Amino acid sequence: MEKSSLTLLSADAVRRGDRAAIARAITALENEMPGAAALADALATEAGRAHVIGITGPPGAGKSTLIAALLAECTKRGRRIAVVAVDPSSPLSGGAVLGDRIRMSEQAAAENVFVRSLASRGHAGGLARTTRRIVDLLDAAGYDPVIVETVGAGQSEVAIAALADTCAVVCPPGLGDDVQAIKAGILEIADLLVVSKGDSALATATVRDLEGMLALRARRGGWKVPVLLTSAARGEGVAALLDAADAHAQACGRGRRLARPEPAPADERARTAALAARDAFARNCRIELVDAGAGHAEVAMTVGAEHLNFNGTCHGGALFALADTAFGLASNSHGRVAAGIEVHISYHAAAREGERLAARASEVSRTRRLATYRIEVRRGARGEGDLVASFTGTVYVTGRHHDSPDGEAPTRSSRRSP
Amino acid sequence: MDIRPKVLVTKIGLDGHDRGSRIVAAHLRDAGMEVVYTPPWQEIAAVVKLAQEEDVDVIGVSSLATDHLIVPRLMEALRAAGLSEVGVIVGGIVPDDDERALLDAGVARVFHPGTSLADIATYVRELAARSRAAKFAA
Repeated sequence: MEKSSLTLLSADAVRRGDRAAIARAITALENEMPGAAALADALATEAGRAHVIGITGPPGAGKSTLIAALLAECTKRGRRIAVVAVDPSSPLSGGAVLGDRIRMSEQAAAENVFVRSLASRGHAGGLARTTRRIVDLLDAAGYDPVIVETVGAGQSEVAIAALADTCAVVCPPGLGDDVQAIKAGILEIADLLVVSKGDSALATATVRDLEGMLALRARRGGWKVPVLLTSAARGEGVAALLDAADAHAQACGRGRRLARPEPAPADERARTAALAARDAFARNCRIELVDAGAGHAEVAMTVGAEHLNFNGTCHGGALFALADTAFGLASNSHGRVAAGIEVHISYHAAAREGERLAARASEVSRTRRLATYRIEVRRGARGEGDLVASFTGTVYVTGRHHDSPDGEAPTRSSRRSP
Repeated sequence: MDIRPKVLVTKIGLDGHDRGSRIVAAHLRDAGMEVVYTPPWQEIAAVVKLAQEEDVDVIGVSSLATDHLIVPRLMEALRAAGLSEVGVIVGGIVPDDDERALLDAGVARVFHPGTSLADIATYVRELAARSRAAKFAA
C-alpha cells in the first residue's frame, strides 16, 4: 500500500501530463488517501500558472453546454484544457449522478482535453471541498485554462469567486423577475456575465436587463463587467467569451486562489480523530469514528444489548448520542471550540439489536459565531440503508482553538495584550 | 479505506434503448454511489478515456440489442490503456453462449432481465471495493 502510494502518486508523472497519473492523483486528493497531502505539497509551488475560469449559474442555465463549446474553441486554438465539473450529492443517500459530461462527451474525447466530474459530498458553496487542490494539480500538470463548473447555483453558492481568476455567471434568458431576485447573489461575483441560449427570443431583453443592473453598480478594480450573448447551439459568441476571459486574466491576473491559504486536509481529519479519541461518553456508547473532514463527520455503532429500551429496540437516547457525536465532531472540525446550543431530533424507525447504524453530519451553514448541521442516522455500515432518525443542531463557535495549548486561536495570540 | 464507489454507466454501439441504464444509474446513486452517466452511442475510445480520467472503479455496460458483442473490444482497449483493474459488468439481453464469451473476455458478471436492483447494487459495491484495492496495491 505504501509502495503503491509512492509509485502511483508521482509528482513527476503529473508534471509530465501523464493522464493516468493525473486521474489517480485526483482520486487520492478527493478521498484524502495516504500520500495525497505529500503530493499536493510537492506540486504546490507550481500552481498559479493556469488561468482558472469559473462557470456558475442556476440549474439548467446551460453551463455544461457552454463549456462544451469552450472546449471546442480552446482545442481550435491549440490549448490544453481541463474541466472540473461539480455535481450535487444526494442529501439522502450521499450518492450522485455526475451528468455534466453528457453535454460535452464529443469535445471531451479530444486528446488535449481532460474532464473530471466531482460530487459535492455535502459541501456547501457550490463546489466539492477538495476542488481547490484538484485545480492546483491540473494547473501543475500544465493545463491552461482550467475550467471549474459549479453545481447549479443560486444566491449563496459563491465559493467559486475565491477559487477562479475569472468568474463567468451564466444567465439563461427569460428569468424575468428572477434576474432581480438573483442580482444580489451570484451576479455580484461575476467578472463576465454570459447570457446563454442566445437563439431564444428573450435573450436580447435579458442582455438589456443585465446591462441596466450593471449601470447601477460601481466597477471593481477597474474592470468593466461585459455582458456577452452566446448561443452554444449555433457556436455564436463563444470565441468572444474566451477573448473576454483572456482579457480579464490580462487585466486582473492569475492565481487569485493562492492568496488564501487553505488548511491541509489531514489537519481536520487528524484533529477530529483526536477529539473522537478523547470522547469518553462516545467510547462508552461504543460509537466509532468512520470518516471526518472540514465540516463533516461520520460515526457508527452496532446496537448492543446495552442500547436497548424496555420495548427491546434501540433506546432513543442511544440514537441521540450517535447523532450528537457526529454533530459535535463536525462542528469542531474546523479547529475552533464549538458548543451545542440547540438541537432537534425526529425518530423515524426502530433499530434492533445487532444492527449497524451510521450517523453522518454535514454543514448546512457556518458564520463566524453560529453554525448549523444536519445529521442523519441510517442503517448500514456507511448509512446506505433506511433513515432511522434525523437531527438538526446549532452550535455557538467560541474564540478558543483546539490546536493551541493555551486554547487561544493562534492567529490572534500575537495581538493579545499581556 | 472505505470509499464511495465510482461507477460509469454507459452504452456502446448503436443501440439507443437507454431506459434500463438510466434506471440502474439512478438506483446506484440511491445506494450511495457516485455514478458517471453517459448517453448511448459511445465510442470505445471515448469510454476508455472517460474511465481513465474519472478513475472509475466499475463500468456497467447496458446492452439490449447485440451491442454486448463489441464488449470484448472494450475489454481489450481497457487493458491496452492500463485499466485492467476496472471491473466491467454487462446488463441486458445476452444469450447464454455470448455470456460465456464475455466472461472469457474478462467481464466480471452479466446481469439478465429480472435481476433485482438491490442485487446489482450489492454486487457493484463488492466489485468496486476489489477494483479499488487492486488499483492502489498494484
